[in-house]
Amino acid sequence: MSLNERAPVGLSLREEFILKKTRSLLMLGCAMFCATTLTAKAESISVWSRQTDESISVLKALTDAFTADTGITVETFNTGIDFEQRLARAAAGRTLPDIVLNDTAAMGQMRQMGILQSIDPASITGNQDVVASAWDGAKANDGKFYAVPMSAQSFAMFVRKDWREKLGMPEPKTWEDVRKLAEAFTTKDPDGNGKDDTFGMAIPGSTTRGYTSWFMSSLIWQAGGDFVKQEADGFVPTVNTPQVAAALTYVRGMICDKLSQPGAINATTGDTLPTFRSGQTGIFMSGPYHIPQLDAEPGKDKVEVLMMPAGPGGIASLAEGTSAYLLKGAKDEAAAKKFLAFVISPKGQEIAMAEGSGKTPLVRLPVNAKVDVNAVRNDPRWMIFKETFDKYSHYMPAVPNWTAIRMITAEGFNRVLAKCDADIPAELETLNKQVAKELSNQKALSASAK
Amino acid sequence: MTTTPQAAPNGAAGGKRLPKRRPRKTPLSTAIIPWLFLAPALVIFTWFKFYPMVSGFSMSFYNVQFYADSEWVGLDNFYKAFDDPDLRLAVFHTTIYVIVATLGASVTALCLALFLEGPARHLRIIRTAIFLPAITSVAIIAEIWRILFNSADYGIINATLGFLGVAPQGFLSDPDQALWVLILMSIWKSAPYDMVIFVAGLVGINRELYDAASVDGASPWRKFWHVTIPGIIPSISVVVMLSFIRGFRIFAEVYATTGGGPAGSTATIMTHVYKVGFEELNYGYASAVSLLLLLFTVALTLVHMKIKSRFTV
Repeated sequence: MSLNERAPVGLSLREEFILKKTRSLLMLGCAMFCATTLTAKAESISVWSRQTDESISVLKALTDAFTADTGITVETFNTGIDFEQRLARAAAGRTLPDIVLNDTAAMGQMRQMGILQSIDPASITGNQDVVASAWDGAKANDGKFYAVPMSAQSFAMFVRKDWREKLGMPEPKTWEDVRKLAEAFTTKDPDGNGKDDTFGMAIPGSTTRGYTSWFMSSLIWQAGGDFVKQEADGFVPTVNTPQVAAALTYVRGMICDKLSQPGAINATTGDTLPTFRSGQTGIFMSGPYHIPQLDAEPGKDKVEVLMMPAGPGGIASLAEGTSAYLLKGAKDEAAAKKFLAFVISPKGQEIAMAEGSGKTPLVRLPVNAKVDVNAVRNDPRWMIFKETFDKYSHYMPAVPNWTAIRMITAEGFNRVLAKCDADIPAELETLNKQVAKELSNQKALSASAK
Repeated sequence: MTTTPQAAPNGAAGGKRLPKRRPRKTPLSTAIIPWLFLAPALVIFTWFKFYPMVSGFSMSFYNVQFYADSEWVGLDNFYKAFDDPDLRLAVFHTTIYVIVATLGASVTALCLALFLEGPARHLRIIRTAIFLPAITSVAIIAEIWRILFNSADYGIINATLGFLGVAPQGFLSDPDQALWVLILMSIWKSAPYDMVIFVAGLVGINRELYDAASVDGASPWRKFWHVTIPGIIPSISVVVMLSFIRGFRIFAEVYATTGGGPAGSTATIMTHVYKVGFEELNYGYASAVSLLLLLFTVALTLVHMKIKSRFTV
C-alpha cells in the first residue's frame, strides 16, 4: 500500500527501488566511515623484533600484556634473517616501525642509516630502576641515548658433562684445561660408539655477519688484549698486540690440530649449534639464550654451564644486550614511549624472560634492578651468566659504527685461522692498519694513532 | 585488381558477409595491438626489472642514505672500486673461476655429448639422469657438496681418497683448495646443460659430410676436427657465452658453501657486492661495482658476437 501512497509524489516502482537502494548504501557507507574513524582513534604502534619464529610467542605475550594494560594495540613483525636489510628497505619506503628490538651492538649501524631518534631517559617512566651499566650500552659516542636497554647477557661454556665425567676430566678453568678437555673429547671416544667422530670445541669461524670477530672477542679479552684503546680524542686500534696474537694462536691451534668440528673455518653460529646438539662437539661457548634448546637436546642432565676459562689476562666474556630503539617518524610517540616504559618495567621484564616456556627469552638477564633473576629463573646456571656479566664482561667498543670494524676484523681473523702457517704478527699488523683506516673514515681515530 | 592478394581468396571463400566481419585493419590498430598484448609483461618488467636497474644506476653516484637525502658523490664510488684491494682479489678469483669452469664444463659436456648422442632409448635415459644436476636448486647442490667434501677423515670424498692412500684433505676449509672445489661443483652442475646444447648441435651436422670424409679416408680424429668442430661452432659459442655470463655473476654457490672464506680465498665479485651492500649497507658503492660488472658483461658479449660473426661468415 505504501507504493500507492507515494505515487502522487511522482515516483515509479523502479525509481522507488533505486531510492531505497541508494539510501541503504548511504547508511552502510556512513556506518563504515564511523567504524574507520573509531578504529583510527584507538592507539596503535608497530614493533619489529630481530628474533626467529621459534620464540615468537614470547614477543606476543609481551605485547598482549601491554595492550591489556594500556589499550594500545601493537602490530608486530619479527625475523632473524636479513633484519637490517628489511629496515633499510622500510626506511627508503618511509614505512618504518615505531619501535625496533635489536642488538645493542647494532646501534651504530642503525644510527648511520639515520633512522634513530634520541631518547631522554628521564622521559621514560621507571628509567631510574634500570642499572647504570645497561644505560651505558645505550649511549652513543656523541653522549646521547638512542635506545632503552631491555636485556643484558654474558657468555659461558656449555660442556658435555656426561662425556667429561666418563673420561674423568676436571671442570676446565683455564685455557690449558679447555685445550686438554678438547683433546680428550676428540681422541678418547667420549660417546663410546667406537668411532672417531667427536670433537672438542664448536667454533664459528665464518666471516658472514662478522662471526669470527664476535667469537674471538671473549678470547681476546681473556688474553688481556682488546680491539681498540679509547683516548680522549678518539680510538687507537690495538689488534696488533701480542695479546691478540696469543688469542688467535690458541684458537688456531684448536682448528689446525683438528680439535674443533670439521669445516669450523666456514661455520656460522647456525652451523655450530647443531654440532653441539647432535653430539659432534663437546664444548660450546654461547649465551644463556641457548639454555632452553640445549635442555631439549642433548638434554639437561648431559650439559653443564661453566664460567668462561681464564686466559693469560684472566676470566673475560663478551657482554651483549638487546635494546628497544625509538625510530624516526614514529606516528604516536607518546604510545611508543609507554611501550618502552612497559618493556623495562618489572612486569614487562618478567614476561619477556619467558621462564618455563622452553622458548628463547627476549630478556635474558633483566636490566631492571627490582627484578631478581634468581627468583624468576630459579636455576643456578643463570647465576653463572649473571656473575660473569657483573664481574668479567666487556661490551664491544663504543666506536661510531662497530659493524664495519666487526666485518674487517672478522676477515682478518679468518685469514689467520684459515692458514696454519700464517705469520700471525704480520697479518695482525696489516689488520691494524685496516682498522685504523676505517676508524679514520668514521672520524674516530685518535691523533696518537695517525 | 582492387583487392589485396590476401583478400582475394578470402572473399572468394567467405561470400558477401566476410568484409563486415573482418574490417580491414587500420595502420594504427596494427601498430597498437602487439603492444597491448605485450603490455602486461612490459608493466611487470618495468616495475621489477627496468625501474630497479635505473634506480641502481642512479644510486651508484650517491652516498645512499636511507632516511635522509642521499648525498651526491659523483664518480667517487667508481674511483673507490678501482682502488679497492678486496675487489681486486675478488675479480682475480672470479676470473680464474670463469675461465677454468668454462673450459672444464665445455670439454666435459662435449665428451658427454659425443658419447651420448643418438636416438636409442638407453641413451635417452642416461642423458636424463646426467641432466638432473642442471635442474637441481643451487642451495641443495651446495649442501650436498658440503657433505661430500667434509674435511673430516670420515667425509665421503676423504674416506674414498683414504682407500687410495691419500691423506685427508681440507677441501672447502683449505684456502688453497676451496676455489677449486667450487669450480668442480660448477662443472658438475653446468656440464649437463651444455651437453644438451652440444647434442642439439651435433644432430644438425649433415651426415653426408662424415660419409664424404670416410670416402676420402679420414681418420676419426680428422673427422672430429674438420667436420664435427666446425659444425658445432654456433653451439660452442652459445655454451661459452652463457658460461661466461653465468660465471661472472656467481654468488649462490659461494654464499651457501664458504661465504667467501676461508681467508677470503673464494670471495667473488658478487659476494663482495653482497657484503658491501647488504652487510655494511653501503648501497652506493655496491651499485657502482654492480654497474661496472654489467658494463663488462655487455662489452664481453659484444666482443663475443664480433668474433662469432667472423667465424661463421
